[in-house]
Amino acid sequence: MALTETYLRWRYRLVPDHLAGEILSKRWIDNTIPLFILLLVVAAFSTAMPEFFNAASVGDLSRQWGEFALLVLALMIVMLAGGIDLSVGSTFALGNIVALALISVAGWPMWAVVLGTLACGAAVGLVNGVLVGYLRLRAFLTTLVTLIIVRAIVDMLLLKYSVAIAGGFIDSDAWYYPGEGYLLGMPFSVVVAGVLAIVIHLVFSRSRAGWHVLAVGGSRRSAHNVGIPVKRVICSTYVISGIMAALAGLLFASRLGGAGADTGIGLEVTALTAAVLGGNSLGGGRGSAAKAIIGSVTVMIMVNGLVRIGVSAGANSLLLGLVLLAAVAIDVRWLKNRHKLLSKVYVSPTFMDLPAAPETDEGSIYAVNDKLHPVEKIGLDAIDGPEDVILDEDDNIYAGNRTGDIIRFFAPDYTRQEVYAHTGGRPLGMAFDRAGNLLVCIGGMGLYRITKAREVERLTDETNRSWLSVIDDSRLRLADDLDIAPDGRVFFSEATVRYEMHEWPVDCLESRGNGRIICYDPNKGKTHTVLKNLVFPNGICMSHDGQSFFFAETWGCRVSRYYFDGPKAGTVEVVIPDLPGYPDNINRASDGTYWLAIVGMRTPSLDLAMRMPGFRRRMARRIAPDEWLYANINTGCVVRFDETGRVLETLWDKGGENHPMITSMREHKGHLYIGGINNNRIGRLKLDWADPDWTGSQSYWRRS
Amino acid sequence: MIERFSRLLDSFTGRGEAAVTVPPLDGALRANRALDEAATRFAMPGVDCLASVDGRLYAAAGAALAEWDGAQRREVRRVDGGIACLAECAGGLAVALEDGRVMVETGPRAGAVFDTRLRCITAMAVSGNTLFLCNGSTEHAAGDWQKDLMERRATGEVWRIDLDGGKPERIAKGLGWPAGIVAEGSHLVVSEAWKHRLVRLDDATPVPVHSDLPGYPGRIVPAGDGYWLAVFAPRSQLVEFVLREPAYRRRMVAEVPRPYWIAPTLRAGRSFYEPLQGGSVKQLGMLKPWAPTLSSGFCVRLDARFQPVASLHSRADGVAHGVTSVVRHGGQVWAAAKGDGVVVAVEDRR
Repeated sequence: MALTETYLRWRYRLVPDHLAGEILSKRWIDNTIPLFILLLVVAAFSTAMPEFFNAASVGDLSRQWGEFALLVLALMIVMLAGGIDLSVGSTFALGNIVALALISVAGWPMWAVVLGTLACGAAVGLVNGVLVGYLRLRAFLTTLVTLIIVRAIVDMLLLKYSVAIAGGFIDSDAWYYPGEGYLLGMPFSVVVAGVLAIVIHLVFSRSRAGWHVLAVGGSRRSAHNVGIPVKRVICSTYVISGIMAALAGLLFASRLGGAGADTGIGLEVTALTAAVLGGNSLGGGRGSAAKAIIGSVTVMIMVNGLVRIGVSAGANSLLLGLVLLAAVAIDVRWLKNRHKLLSKVYVSPTFMDLPAAPETDEGSIYAVNDKLHPVEKIGLDAIDGPEDVILDEDDNIYAGNRTGDIIRFFAPDYTRQEVYAHTGGRPLGMAFDRAGNLLVCIGGMGLYRITKAREVERLTDETNRSWLSVIDDSRLRLADDLDIAPDGRVFFSEATVRYEMHEWPVDCLESRGNGRIICYDPNKGKTHTVLKNLVFPNGICMSHDGQSFFFAETWGCRVSRYYFDGPKAGTVEVVIPDLPGYPDNINRASDGTYWLAIVGMRTPSLDLAMRMPGFRRRMARRIAPDEWLYANINTGCVVRFDETGRVLETLWDKGGENHPMITSMREHKGHLYIGGINNNRIGRLKLDWADPDWTGSQSYWRRS
Repeated sequence: MIERFSRLLDSFTGRGEAAVTVPPLDGALRANRALDEAATRFAMPGVDCLASVDGRLYAAAGAALAEWDGAQRREVRRVDGGIACLAECAGGLAVALEDGRVMVETGPRAGAVFDTRLRCITAMAVSGNTLFLCNGSTEHAAGDWQKDLMERRATGEVWRIDLDGGKPERIAKGLGWPAGIVAEGSHLVVSEAWKHRLVRLDDATPVPVHSDLPGYPGRIVPAGDGYWLAVFAPRSQLVEFVLREPAYRRRMVAEVPRPYWIAPTLRAGRSFYEPLQGGSVKQLGMLKPWAPTLSSGFCVRLDARFQPVASLHSRADGVAHGVTSVVRHGGQVWAAAKGDGVVVAVEDRR
């Protein structure tokens, strides 16, 4: 058994199981299958034709690819907003003939030719955009019609100017540069396509305009409801598409200089194949420049490779059609099953060997008693889930609730209450700063301050991102409890970076070091992570020396002390290594000791499961979350300990009738006030021995 | 070969035999609070078995045998060792003891004693001159039923004894904890708890008459044109899952004290050392009735073809858990909830 456990310990220490779920939850994972297909195509053609990928061939191919990639990017942008643009092939041909006519017949200078050609493309796009965006015609039919009309215009222009174009000689180096020149050692068109792809990527991933397009494609109605100008966004995607198609035509004209009748015929289907093969959704809302690039490279290699192998034109189109069909099928299946797969693999438990739990029977310091029996109930059935409670100098009680309010109960009888402030998240740990402002950790939002004028101000909601983390851990997901150092620095815990507020007990199944302690420095306005890889860090309490704080790791069943100043700065000492339950908030007691809430008790069956991660993983996959084994958070108690970690007393509610579920407690003027995250009351217990004048604010800020 | 492979695949994906689905409490088995809301309720710690004989209601709790006289309960006698079960025998009362003896207390055969040498009698029934006995397991005593389940044993037997003399004869073996038996003429139906089904034992091979119950079926008694079945513990997804995890089960049986096992029980939630499931977390100080639970009160009315037609429940937050015996007596349905140590009576609407 010991050998197996050693193996398990190392196996779970070395293999990062949780990464599978985190990678699957990233958006770029959608590129996996297109990338795989690309590699497959490259491998197939390089074995069939070893000379296919030599320098000359690649150079020639890549120049063509640059033009093609522009078309695919153009189509991708339209598809992202939920539309489709079949006229890209015709617009491409229009760009070609217009550019040739302007340079050789009209004799315009190069810059004017470029502008004129792009304006032509924009005009076609504007027609599409007005018809589809503003008049709300069907994108498919509308662009099919513009395909035909633009093609007809191209044919008419050809009839009129083809002889003049063929006969004229263009005496301009600038004209030949886009089609034949090199920039940074690469064909010009490749550089253009690459730069545009990067710009498009940045726009869609980082800018408001890009997000608007994604939102419209994802759900047109929702986008409209949140105030996005849907019609304008859709129209502009067609205009951009038209400009890019014309630009591709210009590059084509510069490269070949010929106005043929078959230019750009069937190109829209090839471009559509590339866009879909890259993983851009036909339904809109899902796609990226990277997908367009991957798809265009794949299709480019296939089309040219098949021609070189000697496949006839008909068979070539047939193969391309089959690939499009397969790509659409894979797209649908992937979209449907990704979330199922993710939900199955996201929970990834690890090996957790807790020290033996102390007994709770007679003779133990943790022995079950009935000291909490005389608890008075404040706000019974009038408050929903006060995770933490705190009292001001006028003895009013403040407590967060499940709907995001901070409730104030008025002294002295606490029968009246009001909403002190509405935060919107899930208020958890609280503390008063030197100026009397209320600092609150809000689950799902971050660290906030509620001023005496009841204004809710954000202090911080992000910290430094760790380099090796797959998920973005810069945003705060579950800020839990805080305390304030004498110099004003705020230390607060973030319980887990892998789960949201309402899923916090699921983190117990993992029991990995998913949490951290973060410091917010109001003097510099900076936030940085102090301690990482903690097992659900929860309560935080400044020690009386002003150089360190105690923190509780809930699933680790231990309390530690971290020195942030002084000779021991930067070190962590475990103070209580083996609690019989799961610790939550810590707060100061009037005699210089500390209160610790135990939110739940350890059960032998779960302790055993903690040493069998495979069992927990299968449980998370096989059975419904309501049936999962949890830590026993129905029964809790309050413990008092001193600086050395010696436990001095334990307060229980034996029957669990008066005060089930304890997540916090706060001593104030000789009474102990008790909160619970799933509870419907605040408990109040008279402490006979306690200093009847002691308050937390005095202890921290020494005010009279 | 293919079968082995598909079983391996099943255990990986959680399909087929590895699936942990539990049938829903729906239709005739739809959950209610009938046992909790029963108007008649007697506290009787340890009550295990009831029998309605000749217009009298008897109840066994540990070593004590009690009888109701109107609304008054009085102890009839105390036996050496615990009482395993009660049954009607030719108009009298037969009492089976945990040491294997069967004694007839009242009726024309009063005073007769049979030594069966069985150590795990769970139920018995008399038909004509023949006594049928269920021996839950050859490995464990009746009190160790959780261990028998967690070790996934199937060593239960059914025995037949001629009341006019003759050797006991084993008529079935290899059953998964037979916990109830009903005999009518030559027909014999046994509840096979670990396989959640009722089987007919007329021939050499057991034939299921009702399978995939959402709980572990126990004692059955005839009632008019049908039967009453006590389901002593509910099935749950978590337990079904643990039953398919041999390594965890082995270590749990070896390392965890039995009251704190992940196993069905007659009464759960007494100690904070017991396992807790996600849905059982108290919200606003309240345990939800639909919470997943390892114990419940559950008895089923079966028709003549052993199909459920109605049921009585005590849900997760209820106060009549672990119903080990149910009988019809004086127009009422009486249920012994061993988990909570109460006997409740509900009006029989049929």
